[in-house]
Amino acid sequence: MRIDEIKLEHTLPRVFVSEKIPASDVWQASLTLRRGQHYLIEAASGGGKSSLCAYIFGSRTDYEGKILFNNEDIASFGIDRWQVIRRSNIAYLPQELSLFPELTAWENIQLKNRLTSHATDERIEEWMDRIGISFRRDYPCGRMSIGQQQRVAIIRSICQPFDFILLDEPVSHLDEENNRIAASIISEEAARQGAAIVSTSVGNPLILNSPIRLSL
Amino acid sequence: MNIISRLLKKNISPARIAGFILSNFIGLAIVLGGLIFYLDARSIWESEDSFIRSDFLVINKKVTSGNTFGASSSFSPQEVKEVMDQPWVRKAAPFTASAYRVRGALNQNGRGMSTAMFFESIPDEYVDVPKAQWSWQEGSDEVPLIISKDYLTLYNFGFATAAGLPKMSEGLMSGIPLDITIYNEDNSKAIQLHGRVAGYSNRLNTILVPQNFMDWSNGQLSADAATSDPSRLIIDVNSPGDVAINEFLDSHDYEVAGDKTAASASFLLKLVVGIVLAIGAIITLLSLFILMLSVSLLMEKNREKLHSLLMLGYPLKTVGAPYNKIVIAASVGACVLALAGTLCLRSIYLEPLRGLGAETGSFLPVVVVALLLTAIIIVFNCVAVSRKVKGSWRISK
Repeated sequence: MRIDEIKLEHTLPRVFVSEKIPASDVWQASLTLRRGQHYLIEAASGGGKSSLCAYIFGSRTDYEGKILFNNEDIASFGIDRWQVIRRSNIAYLPQELSLFPELTAWENIQLKNRLTSHATDERIEEWMDRIGISFRRDYPCGRMSIGQQQRVAIIRSICQPFDFILLDEPVSHLDEENNRIAASIISEEAARQGAAIVSTSVGNPLILNSPIRLSL
Repeated sequence: MNIISRLLKKNISPARIAGFILSNFIGLAIVLGGLIFYLDARSIWESEDSFIRSDFLVINKKVTSGNTFGASSSFSPQEVKEVMDQPWVRKAAPFTASAYRVRGALNQNGRGMSTAMFFESIPDEYVDVPKAQWSWQEGSDEVPLIISKDYLTLYNFGFATAAGLPKMSEGLMSGIPLDITIYNEDNSKAIQLHGRVAGYSNRLNTILVPQNFMDWSNGQLSADAATSDPSRLIIDVNSPGDVAINEFLDSHDYEVAGDKTAASASFLLKLVVGIVLAIGAIITLLSLFILMLSVSLLMEKNREKLHSLLMLGYPLKTVGAPYNKIVIAASVGACVLALAGTLCLRSIYLEPLRGLGAETGSFLPVVVVALLLTAIIIVFNCVAVSRKVKGSWRISK
């Protein structure tokens, strides 16, 4: 199964229900995210970016309204279905990265890639090379800087087939040069798969090619 | 070891797992030890008496100097009725005694013995022998007999030793022809028969023949057979352990035939084994919870990791697998230890027990119980693991 579009119908985090929220392109709106597009979701801190990603990724359900994949309400999906979606339809780079600190950069990436058998070792090594993290290949992630960890997590997130990739503040600790490299690696992989990129930011956005900008 | 196992087995506490193995080993060993001891030892008290079911009691009046000189040692029709009216009696029947004389002779290569005997009979429904082996037809000169095991013992250890005759097993004895002559009081009429031993009983101190043979032979050789009162009754009771039975028997000076000490020893054995099994089962149950708690605690410590792996898209089964492996390895380990321990225990008591005349039981039920208990522990814990994995799929906020 391929996910061609993700629809949000009057979606709103439950914590916002009783609050007066400023006008938003996402919350309480009718929004359709389509394969192949680039979206940049910008908001102030506390606007609910991470919540949005978690809703679409199935890890949280504390929202009002509906979220539909190809017109199917995701509230009806069971755990096993979500696990399949996570392996083959939606890639996700959470803000907290969720790397395993005791594992090396290589092991962290392989943890995903062995599950999906998506990229060859050469390909991964090439990505690591481009983003400047090769020298940390066999170094435990827990002892790396946040910027280095972010780069490892970016590569891990693209080691799978996907229709949508959710990137929650992916380059918040990267300089502009590395931001461009990350953006080009992700864009290349997304373009190769015909997938959409959905990236959030609070001020240091991933430098995407003419993205559709949405404000929360 | 793969990356997942390495990740998820972090924080594992060998002491807690060892604690489970030890307690599960102790619990299982007590259960299995108690069970195999029961299976091995019960033959001492419960030599299977397949002819008379254990809820049949044979009662007679106590022989006192009173009934030797006058007072009747047999049951009058009123007394029979009183017994039958007791609430713990399902049904009862009198023994029919032979009203003629019996002479039995054993012949073995010219040497032999001959003895005066007697017959008794009870209705066939009380005798648990296949119909084919326990039937007699008019005109046939072969009569099936159930004799008391004590008679064989008397022959083997009393007579045979003194007379220089070979000792005989039950099987051998059954194959030797027993010549029987029955004749009336004044020896005016005699009938020649062949006896065939159909079985030996611990619980009947008599020589039993089929009821229809008894009726026929009494009719042939005695005129007043029907009028004599029975001296023994066979009773089918609701529960042999009922206190009311003993009270009634004591108050009427009746006694139960057969080996009562065996019955009480067997009851005590069952009671003690029951207590031991219960203690073992409780310890096993507690060990199940120890394992459940330790795995639960381990998974709780690794909850973040479980969640992260599920976020990467790992199937629930893969994430639970390392914990299931711990559960299975620990349980199977404890099971193997317990079986080995049980075998050791058995090797200690087996020789002395055989000396007491026990026919040792099969070890198979013990293995089955061990596997069953281990399977229960594994299933419970694997279900708990699977729930815990599902619980960490979503970290609620």
